[in-house]
Amino acid sequence: MCDSCGCDLTHTHTHDHDHDHKHTHNSQVIEVHKNLLAANDALAAGNRAHFDAKGIVAINLISSPGSGKTTLLEKTIERLKGSIRIGVIEGDIETDRDAQRIRAKGVPVIQLTTGGACHLDAGQIHKGFHLLEHEPGGDQLDILFIENVGNLVCPATFDLGEHQRVVLVSVPEGPDKPSKYPKAFISSQVFVISKTDLLPYFDFPVAEAKADALHLNPRLQVMDLSSTTGEGFDAWIEYLTSLHSKNQQTAA
Amino acid sequence: MHEMSLVQGLIDQLVSLAAEHDKNKILTVTVDIGPLSGVAIDSFQFAFDILSKENSLTNGASLTIINSPATYRCVQCGYEESASVRPDQCLKCKESLLIPEGGDAITLNQVELE
Ligand SMILES: Nc1nc2c(ncn2[C@@H]2O[C@H](COP(=O)(O)OP(=O)(O)O)[C@@H](O)[C@H]2O)c(=O)[nH]1
Ligand SMILES: [Mg+2]
Ligand SMILES: [Zn+2]
Ligand SMILES: [Zn+2]
Repeated sequence: MCDSCGCDLTHTHTHDHDHDHKHTHNSQVIEVHKNLLAANDALAAGNRAHFDAKGIVAINLISSPGSGKTTLLEKTIERLKGSIRIGVIEGDIETDRDAQRIRAKGVPVIQLTTGGACHLDAGQIHKGFHLLEHEPGGDQLDILFIENVGNLVCPATFDLGEHQRVVLVSVPEGPDKPSKYPKAFISSQVFVISKTDLLPYFDFPVAEAKADALHLNPRLQVMDLSSTTGEGFDAWIEYLTSLHSKNQQTAA
Repeated sequence: MHEMSLVQGLIDQLVSLAAEHDKNKILTVTVDIGPLSGVAIDSFQFAFDILSKENSLTNGASLTIINSPATYRCVQCGYEESASVRPDQCLKCKESLLIPEGGDAITLNQVELE
């Protein structure tokens, strides 16, 4: 119903009252009920199907800038060299410094720069993955890591087609991240507390941070590790190798 | 500010809806932003205010934001509660571990055009 004249909004008519205003209106209400992320989600589903067809496990790494994502990848590549074939898509607002660090480890990598955008989306991953496939070794991968743009908020909203989402918080950032940025923790499968070698210097009650994260998402798998000392790294490597072997079984 | 890119996506959808229905003005838009969508409602509104002015189709359109609740399922007894703010514990058995379901969508519900 139209407020001004009480007409049915979906039909067209002309007012012709005795006062001087004359207008024609022809308004229509449309029920849409379409997810605003539908376009992204469809591309993400396409990416996931493509990864599945190639037997690849895709892992999306999300954290604030500087939590240690690239360092974790460098150490992971060193540890898994020769047993699991890794490829990396790096997302950053500018520069390809992270891709250079990964390339130095001898694995295929593609740098995506978002030119200001605070997150990667599924369309960028679609393009990025095809570029990666043309890098030496890029067409034969077991695990694809996607290092998202450093930001704990925006990337959490965008499905990239990953199988696993891993959220990192480093010890210097403090333990209150799960309650401040719940979406990243609700949508992830794994929570990594990084830089545990710094625990002596920061007030970071590990048990409390774990409990807060589990309170938000009881299904989260929580690990704490240091890329510098290697402490806690075995659980991370075990997580990756078991993902890989489960994936091979389903593919076989 | 991923709200900017979400609103840009919304405006693109409005433009194609208008073309589809042969209309040239958007009057009202209703969007449902779930409490677990990771979207800040104020930022979404702000982005809409700015971006809607950029074309005559959406200039002056009014945005209504609704906030449908999420469902929280108790890991202990399975009781499900709808809420827009996470409950501290299960209403039935007081368990504090609740698994959130739904409430993460950002949906364009309704558009009025002429
Ligand atoms: N002490 C310590 N520093 C680390 C650790 N991991 C990374 N860093 C440092 O943290 C800084 C940011 O790391 P980087 O991997 O680039 O973070 P990203 O922005 O998440 O990719 C660098 O100076 C790293 O050397 C760690 O386990 N312990
Ligand atoms: Mg990095
Ligand atoms: Zn953002
Ligand atoms: Zn219960």
